[in-house]
Amino acid sequence: MSDYDLIVLGSGPGGYVAAIRAAQLGLKVAIVERENLGGICLNWGCIPTKALLRSAEIYHYMQHAGDYGLTAANISADIDAVVKRSRGVAKQLNQGVTHLMKKNKITVHMGDGKLTAANTLTVTKDGKTDELTAKNIILATGARARDLPFAPADGKRIWTYRHAMVPPEMPKKLLVIGSGAIGIEFASFYNDMGAEVTVVEMLDRIVPVEDADVSTFLEKALKKQGMTIMTGAGVEELKATATGVSAKIKGKDGKVVESEFTHCIVAIGIVPNTENIGLDALGVEMDRGFLKTDPMCRTNVPGLWAIGDITAPPWLAHKASHEGVIAAEAIAGGHPHAMDPKNIPGCTYCHPQVASVGLTEAKAKEAGYDVKVGNFPFLGNGKAIALGAAEGFIKTVFDSKTGELLGAHMVGAEVTELIQGYTIGKTAELVEADFMHTVFPHPTLSEMMHESVLGAYGKMIHM
Amino acid sequence: MRISPSARLLAAEKGIDLASIRGTGPNGRIVRADIEGAPSVVPPSSVAQPSVAIAVPAASHSGDRVKASPLAKRIATEKGIDLTLVTGTGPNGRIVKEDVEAFSGAGRSPAPSTAMDPGLRREAPAADSRPSTGSGLTVDGGNIPHEVVKLSNMRKTIARRLTESKQQVPHIYLTVDVRLDALLKLRGELNASLEPRGIKLSVNDMLIKALGLALIQVPKCNVSFAGDNMLQYSRADISVAVSVPTGLITPIVTDAANKSLSKISTEIAELAARAKEGKLQPHEYQGGTASISNMGMMGIKQFEAVINPPQAMIMAIGAGEKRPYIVDDALAIATVMSATGSFDHRAIDGADGAQLMKVFKELVEKPLGLVA
Repeated sequence: MSDYDLIVLGSGPGGYVAAIRAAQLGLKVAIVERENLGGICLNWGCIPTKALLRSAEIYHYMQHAGDYGLTAANISADIDAVVKRSRGVAKQLNQGVTHLMKKNKITVHMGDGKLTAANTLTVTKDGKTDELTAKNIILATGARARDLPFAPADGKRIWTYRHAMVPPEMPKKLLVIGSGAIGIEFASFYNDMGAEVTVVEMLDRIVPVEDADVSTFLEKALKKQGMTIMTGAGVEELKATATGVSAKIKGKDGKVVESEFTHCIVAIGIVPNTENIGLDALGVEMDRGFLKTDPMCRTNVPGLWAIGDITAPPWLAHKASHEGVIAAEAIAGGHPHAMDPKNIPGCTYCHPQVASVGLTEAKAKEAGYDVKVGNFPFLGNGKAIALGAAEGFIKTVFDSKTGELLGAHMVGAEVTELIQGYTIGKTAELVEADFMHTVFPHPTLSEMMHESVLGAYGKMIHM
Repeated sequence: MRISPSARLLAAEKGIDLASIRGTGPNGRIVRADIEGAPSVVPPSSVAQPSVAIAVPAASHSGDRVKASPLAKRIATEKGIDLTLVTGTGPNGRIVKEDVEAFSGAGRSPAPSTAMDPGLRREAPAADSRPSTGSGLTVDGGNIPHEVVKLSNMRKTIARRLTESKQQVPHIYLTVDVRLDALLKLRGELNASLEPRGIKLSVNDMLIKALGLALIQVPKCNVSFAGDNMLQYSRADISVAVSVPTGLITPIVTDAANKSLSKISTEIAELAARAKEGKLQPHEYQGGTASISNMGMMGIKQFEAVINPPQAMIMAIGAGEKRPYIVDDALAIATVMSATGSFDHRAIDGADGAQLMKVFKELVEKPLGLVA
């Protein structure tokens, strides 16, 4: 007789959602967490960074109050107060998850979980070990920042996202290595907060998973804000000194230049948390370091499931949550629908924001599609001008043969709140006629979504 | 048919036959307002009843509700795929792009980002909780090891139509034994002379022609029963049952009585090939004035087929086999098959059915009439 129908190892946005869904479906559920309920996402990731970025945004507006006919004098930023607010937001959400566990009668075991068999897990806390059994176990242990092999983060001068979220002091001159979502968000935050920021990206453009037009636009916008951006560049050496960090950076031209910074954020990717959870002994199949799963999130070991950042990309909270629901429903005997990776949106909260779903124009062409592309600038949108945020664009990529929306790519104010419209359309497999026939409210930024589609078919009105 | 999800739900609720609705949305898409404006008169179960719905034979087929995404519909239209034959794997059995591409077998998979095994990308959807074929059956399988197989739209259509036929059409069955030696000899000679043209007649091709001619000669059997009326056809269009991986489909040889055997043969070969790929256009399998079903190649000696309404007869062909046979009062060996006609007794009297069987037998036994 098992203790539980389901144990979830890890309480991030994948794990806690899986636990809630399974409990809703009548299963007896436990969740094991070594640190904070809610995981990285709402304690050390998505949510507290958004709180930081909000402060940076308001600070930015205050500095530009004159643009809106307002006067703001004696403006200053108190990094400690900004961080304190961010921690408060994380704490509130952490308590929210605690409450949700209670409400759904999910037993919370705090401690380090380790599989000893496909259906047995030990939980160790303060030297005390309990053994729990379950008919099914979902692994949702997530991922952590990848260190530079030659300069592991020390939390003082060399930071990962986690240190950057609770900085010991405000950096004056900041080096950000890596220009993915995490790197660019922190670069944007500290730039807005007044630091002198340099971003080093190995590939030939920043936010390299996004459409090339978005990368080009964002690079220009960030440079205009005073950021230094080096693409096609690599950090060859990084040393923490008493006063900062010293970095040898090889530029696009092949020349190595040594520069001094006060701090450095390493954001070169993630490593899945697959160590010390007992995977080896069970013979769990892996693929390039990540757990291999089928569309219902099953591993090759019966009764053992895996979701989120320890499985195939994209490594995003909403992907993990969706997988959590799929796995929970499959375990409860349902037949949930598999997730289509092409329909998972991605958002980056730099300033201006970036959001996208589906294939980039280049990827669509590479896949053999004959594409129709629409591109509408913020400059042509009344609401954007009224907001004083007339920079950015919305780009759509259609398959000219079938009218399928292959991808949508946006950069500009609030686009992270817009992308869901295209995501719904893509998921429902709407074609261009359906988007064209939809009435978009005026005056909103969403009108640009309409115009972009119209533009792909030569029917744009406001440009 | 393009239709919005909410219009589809409302139509199902109100029991409206979507085939009768003209869509006013983009590209003729049926939208909620079109359904709201439509009179709700017929309960859903009676929509396809031959007695009320028949103006043109088998028109009821187009009234089947097909749940498909706008993209899936557009791709199906472009590829000439009949969505009623496609099994949907989306929410509530909705047909999505992947289903259409899988069906056509030509689906490219431009999804480079997935590390998943493509064979496992989608699982069977949750059982549709809404009534499907109207059977209202609940079978749980008990302790017997089993898996639940979702019905394709084709299987649902077959189930619904055959149930309707057996429940509503009083069948009468008439069997004759037919000697095949002359027909086989003629077939040999014809095939020898047709060889240079690359045509090889099958026995079935010749029986299709024979049935067509017989129906023209006995017009009382070339009919549809339609409530207060009866449709008397002056042309014999023969639906030929073809087994396909997803079930059964009946491509039609139009005007079989007036087509040469070589024409019937090439036509049916082409139709059957496309039927197996699922690429028949609706008009190529909807309609027909009578059917023929041949299970001879599977060694079936004799069987009774279910009439395919609104048609009023179907000919079931058994295997041709050597049997002891009385020829000129002496026991001899002859190649003989049993043919059984099923007739809609509301429209066709036994004597008329018998007359058709007699003519059919004569045409097969004295087969020169088939080429004249």
